[in-house]
Amino acid sequence: MANYKPAIPLMIIYAILIAIGFTIPGMWQPIIFVIFYIAIGQALNIFLGLTGYVNFGYVALLGIGAYGMAVALGYYSTAIGIAAILLGFTLAVIFSVILSLAVGGVALRLRGAYFAIATIGVNEGLKHFIEGAKIWGGSEGIVLSGLLRKTFGVEFTNYLSTFVADVILIAIAIFAGLITLYILNNKIGYALIALREDEDAAKVMGINVTKYKMIAFVISSIIAALIGASSWTLKMTYVFPSDVFAINYTVEAIVIVMLGGAGTLLGPIIGGLIYGVLKYYLSVILPGFQLLILAPLLIIIVVAFPEGIVGYIKRKLRRTAIFEYIM
Amino acid sequence: MAVLEQLLANLLYGVILGGVYGLATMGLSLIFGVLRIVNVGHGAFVMVGAFIAYWMFILYGVAPVISIPIALLLGLIIGAIIYFAVIRRLIDAPELSTLLATFAIGLFIEELAKQIWGSDYVGYSWNIGSITLPITEVPLTKLLALLSSIIIAIIVYLWFQKTKLGAAVRAVVEDREGAMVCGINVNRIFMISFALGIGLTVLSGVLVTLFVPVGINVYMGGEYTLKAFVIAVLGGLASPWGAFYAGFIFGLLENGSYTLLGLIPGVEPFGLTRFVSFAVLLIILLVKPTGLLGGE
Repeated sequence: MANYKPAIPLMIIYAILIAIGFTIPGMWQPIIFVIFYIAIGQALNIFLGLTGYVNFGYVALLGIGAYGMAVALGYYSTAIGIAAILLGFTLAVIFSVILSLAVGGVALRLRGAYFAIATIGVNEGLKHFIEGAKIWGGSEGIVLSGLLRKTFGVEFTNYLSTFVADVILIAIAIFAGLITLYILNNKIGYALIALREDEDAAKVMGINVTKYKMIAFVISSIIAALIGASSWTLKMTYVFPSDVFAINYTVEAIVIVMLGGAGTLLGPIIGGLIYGVLKYYLSVILPGFQLLILAPLLIIIVVAFPEGIVGYIKRKLRRTAIFEYIM
Repeated sequence: MAVLEQLLANLLYGVILGGVYGLATMGLSLIFGVLRIVNVGHGAFVMVGAFIAYWMFILYGVAPVISIPIALLLGLIIGAIIYFAVIRRLIDAPELSTLLATFAIGLFIEELAKQIWGSDYVGYSWNIGSITLPITEVPLTKLLALLSSIIIAIIVYLWFQKTKLGAAVRAVVEDREGAMVCGINVNRIFMISFALGIGLTVLSGVLVTLFVPVGINVYMGGEYTLKAFVIAVLGGLASPWGAFYAGFIFGLLENGSYTLLGLIPGVEPFGLTRFVSFAVLLIILLVKPTGLLGGE
């Protein structure tokens, strides 16, 4: 029953976004801004959407990825040059796998409430660990701009942060979409949906629920860490613990997933599009609006509209020709 | 010797602070026990209580002890409003919904508080003298906070054990359907428990201010959410009494590790102590997720 047709709308949306970014002057950065939100939504959706478990420490995965890149560039770029970027992505993946295995290994054996409790302190815990133990620059963070300019030259550094980082982000976002589609069409996805609906029943049917939750968690973590490595460290050229572990990003990602439709392929894309565009234009008019508006919005979605936009459309279009293309 | 004395003094503070921690967690455990909802926005209610104490003291010169019933009353009202506006609609919803909803409620309260009180750190000092022990000096305000916590916990305990309503709440904790069959209005019990849970939490915020002289801030709650989770899990998550006792354990643990971490050169013990509470949480979940004190 594998159905890969939803890849078509997925790729069309990305193609349109990229085309707008390339052809209309001044639109590249807004488009990248929107794609960042789509990407963090997609990464979270693989775990939250497919398992029904909430990871309140989501931002810690973006942050630890950002640190992976910062450590590679900050401490090794003079020695190994441009290969440090590759090392940065590798470290981001390694750090995120270690963190997700540690947290998931402990808390995913337990029920959702316990997992949520375990994750709520992850970002603050990591922040205090880095600041308290004074590793990786402690609370002063890692500032790379000077070092990068000295090692790679001013022009190449600018090229890295204004173009290469963005292209990598787009690649990660598309990859996240395709891997979601693959999971949904695969044994992993069937197992995850079964356990999301009824964990006890899934267990009785012989599904190793902890294993599948773990797979989803690690995949979601790796993608989040890659986003952090490219969109924060490579793009901004600095990392501060108070920035990269700020809870705002967790909230934004949750709102994007829930607004678009948790557990759907296109949900985080629609949610990220709406949220990214609104934020880009509203933050100019209403600075600091974010949480004051996001919090009640999230309450309203959860209470009145838990299926999200794509979930709603999917239900409305059942038994029509378009249905196959929406997932 | 100086180290040992410092450790003993800090452990004593740990016990005193632990009583307040325990009280600050009872509301969380009560709500989980009765409604099976984890209040992820817990810390925000502690913050509200702290600001009530601050305002009453700064604006009207009211001693924090007098603010206790005021905070309880306001907390009950806030709890009832939240119950009717949001929680009531989510009683049978999947866990995901209640987790996200309580999380969002906490954020919303913080942002509202920021509109009222701004984001600066504030504080007040209430001095009524202190008693001198061989190892340290203990301010009377802190002893008063401990005493209030114990008295309030006892009152709640008696209410649970000796009144009809308390018995109904216990029945719902034990078996929701069974209680319904016996003619208990479960929805009413849900409302009362949620309001009481929030009331106790707001109340505990008043006592917290006696320990953080300049630490009142709209975002102070996050720290207490994490601490309350550690304590609640220690105490078995669904048991308010377990939570109260676990508060003392956590107070000892926190202050003990603060002293010991301070001995390591080159680290900043304050930040690391907060990391320790997170690490303790993971260890308890790994070793004995049902809580060290029995519980569920």
